Amino acid sequence: MTTEPGQYGFLFDERRCVQCRTCELACKSTCDVEPGVRWRRLTEEWAGAYPALVRTFFSLACMHCATPACAEACAAGAISKRPGDGIVVVDRAKCDGCRDCLAACPYAVPQFGSDGTMQKCDYCLGVGREPACTQSCPADALVYGPLEELRTAAVARATKTLDGTETTGPSIVIVT
Amino acid sequence: MVPTICALCGPSSGCGLACYVRDGRLVRVEGMKESPVNRGKLCPKAYASAQWLYSPQRLKHPLRRIGEKGEGRFEQISWDEALDTIAAKLGEQKENYGARSLAVLSPQGRSYKEYILRFMMAHGSPNFGHSGICFIQRALGFAYTLGAFEAGFNPDYERADVILVWGGNPVFSGAPMGELERVLDARERGAKLVVIKPELQPDAAKADLWLPVRPGTDGALALAMLNVIVNERLYDADFVVRRCHGFDELVPHVQQYTPEWAEPITGLPASQIREVARLYGGAASACIRTGNAFDQTVDSNHAVRAVAILMAITGNLDRPGGNVAPAGSTMPPLKPVHLRERYTQEAIDDLVAPELAPGLQPFLEGTSSAYYRCFDSVLTGDPYPIKTIIAPGTQPTVITRGSGRVVEALRELEFFVVIDVMENASMPWADIVVPVTTMYESDHPFEVARTRAGDWLMARSKVVEPLGDYKSDYEFWLDLAVRMGHGDDFWHGDIEACMDYRLENLGLTMQELRAHPSGIVYEPGPMRYEKYDQLFATPSPRISGAPYLPQGKVAVYNTTFEQLGFSPLPEWVEPPESPTATPELLERYPLTFFDTHTTDVYNHGWLRNVPYLREAQPEPWVHVHPGTARGRGIEDGDWVIVESPHGWVKLKAVHFPGIRPDTVMGVHGWWQGCDELDLPGYPLLDGGANVNVLYSTDPEKAFDPVVTAMPKHTLVQLRKCP
Repeated sequence: MTTEPGQYGFLFDERRCVQCRTCELACKSTCDVEPGVRWRRLTEEWAGAYPALVRTFFSLACMHCATPACAEACAAGAISKRPGDGIVVVDRAKCDGCRDCLAACPYAVPQFGSDGTMQKCDYCLGVGREPACTQSCPADALVYGPLEELRTAAVARATKTLDGTETTGPSIVIVT
Repeated sequence: MVPTICALCGPSSGCGLACYVRDGRLVRVEGMKESPVNRGKLCPKAYASAQWLYSPQRLKHPLRRIGEKGEGRFEQISWDEALDTIAAKLGEQKENYGARSLAVLSPQGRSYKEYILRFMMAHGSPNFGHSGICFIQRALGFAYTLGAFEAGFNPDYERADVILVWGGNPVFSGAPMGELERVLDARERGAKLVVIKPELQPDAAKADLWLPVRPGTDGALALAMLNVIVNERLYDADFVVRRCHGFDELVPHVQQYTPEWAEPITGLPASQIREVARLYGGAASACIRTGNAFDQTVDSNHAVRAVAILMAITGNLDRPGGNVAPAGSTMPPLKPVHLRERYTQEAIDDLVAPELAPGLQPFLEGTSSAYYRCFDSVLTGDPYPIKTIIAPGTQPTVITRGSGRVVEALRELEFFVVIDVMENASMPWADIVVPVTTMYESDHPFEVARTRAGDWLMARSKVVEPLGDYKSDYEFWLDLAVRMGHGDDFWHGDIEACMDYRLENLGLTMQELRAHPSGIVYEPGPMRYEKYDQLFATPSPRISGAPYLPQGKVAVYNTTFEQLGFSPLPEWVEPPESPTATPELLERYPLTFFDTHTTDVYNHGWLRNVPYLREAQPEPWVHVHPGTARGRGIEDGDWVIVESPHGWVKLKAVHFPGIRPDTVMGVHGWWQGCDELDLPGYPLLDGGANVNVLYSTDPEKAFDPVVTAMPKHTLVQLRKCP
């Protein structure tokens, strides 16, 4: 999977995320996302048995894949990847609400609100500065930047990948 | 962009906010980067606060009750009419019953508290009804054991080898304020993190060692840790000899509290108790971050003192990596609002139900009566009945225990005033309802936050115009005082003059302060450790001004407590109900229930009406271990009846793998509906979701005798709703 040189992405530090939900709410209020729709959402996993438990968290939003499966699946041509910064954007005027993108996305990112069209994270394009989720993270667990720089920063650290990484190449580094 | 200061949680002064306004409407907020409190960060509650500001449940006009008490029927009146009515009633009652017949309840920590206390002093009532659920209980135990209460609250995370987070949660309370980041940084550099609480909350998920202690037994754990540390000589012998009073009495006293003794009480293996005692006592530097678990338990004064003694005898007091008194300030002192110099012994003797033992009053905030007991006096007349209660920013029907008895008292009460920004759970019984501004609708006061980067002073700015006919909490107390003839003491009602008076020592006026849109930071004084000569001579706020520590040493053996008739050494006290206190109840009520006051999206009894927060937690839940649930045929998401010996509630079961299987946990403060999401509110009493109906209010068993702390744990049974 080749990454565009200007591609932006997220770094998620699993050791620091504490599921405080700030990223989720910062996203919603900054991008004025209607209730019931989550451009960013927290997930968690439990392993082991009480009391020897391991609880890990993840904060999921669109990862602006190198090869976005959603765009490939969109017959209406509403989803595209911007050259340069690699942001995957939705033209909601073109979207017919068929939800093929949701079926195609390995991470179940696409969201649908009351108007029935697809919506998701656009790195706070409309706000015109660093995404609210990373800017607000009180644990410094979520970082935004040029993907190559994030990869370099994590080079000495243990990392993991999500299922589906091989086919779509999400722009994220997950440090464990 | 308009900068202001958040006021959604307390008691610390709030985070800096950058507010974006379009056409006179607040559209979104960000953290203010220049604020040393939050450095550009915020919490979920603040991010959702525009929805809170514009909630359809906002109160827009003062109201007068026209229906029966509890019915919730009101007519609209003006601000002046509301205040005239209150002033007339208080004047009449002062004449007939004496000023002490007025109790004003304490809001969650807010700077307008000082104005309430000033009003109470001018009016002549000592009965500030403090809720006794947070902070003061620990502050008192720390102050009267360590000399400086701040040290107990202030872990030196950067230099600690071992960190104990004990009965608190730095993730759900104040996450943007820096503490969370400090704990995570410490862990990353190799400090060992121990988290002590019944549930594997997100902070516990990061711990090297999680101790799932049974609710309400932290004091027993602390005593057993003292036993191990004393007997294995893990204490700092030099510090104990030179700086502690009564260690020789502690040694025989703690022999009874072995880890084996604590095992059935705490539900922790004795081996694990030894492990944590050795880890804490054996570390070169170790600090403790306590939480509300210590304020809401019937052995509160003992548990706090036991922890304070742990800090001291292990040599972790005011030393690098321990619990330290903060650096001094370079900011000149503000002129106080509170008229403390007017306290008399008569005022203390006149308290209807002292929150803190009278011999320890006034304390940090002034004199106080126990919140719940103010209501009790209405019904018992013992020692005299409170006739008027004013409830500013607090909801007695869901915040204190014994909600049924509170409602009964509200029916009996002669006059009840509610002050709030929003329709609230106690409003149906109010004679007068006074709406006030949110933090976005007022250009005062200024706030001061003490941070590690210095003292931050900033004037609040008016972000939007008030949505109705109301003023701020601060102006309410000024306006009322002027109406009652106390204009000389209340700047003749001029809030700007009041602000200017307070700033006099700083050579600033409020107008000049407003010229600094992100406030002023006063550099911290130099940090010094081992300030024992100074700390151990700290004068107490009692009228005598006598130091907290009569011997000028850590009060391991507390002669002040002894003289007041309390135990000089910390002891274990069983709660009203628990597996070891009342084993006879286990057949009918086999599970321990407790609650949390704060989650990621809620604190206390409000914010359920905010759509962005409500959708994150739409229903009142109870966390149940999956094994415990399945044994009762309860699936994840089933509604269940939770029944204690005192009442019952209906909650939604959430299978939660990280909770003690013998324990279940709910959330305090549920009652409110959310109009926008069409989600319901819940009844206040039995059959609703207000967990306070589950707890004991037995006058003999449910109150710590020194600090009137009331336990938030009991025994329950769970069954699936039919």
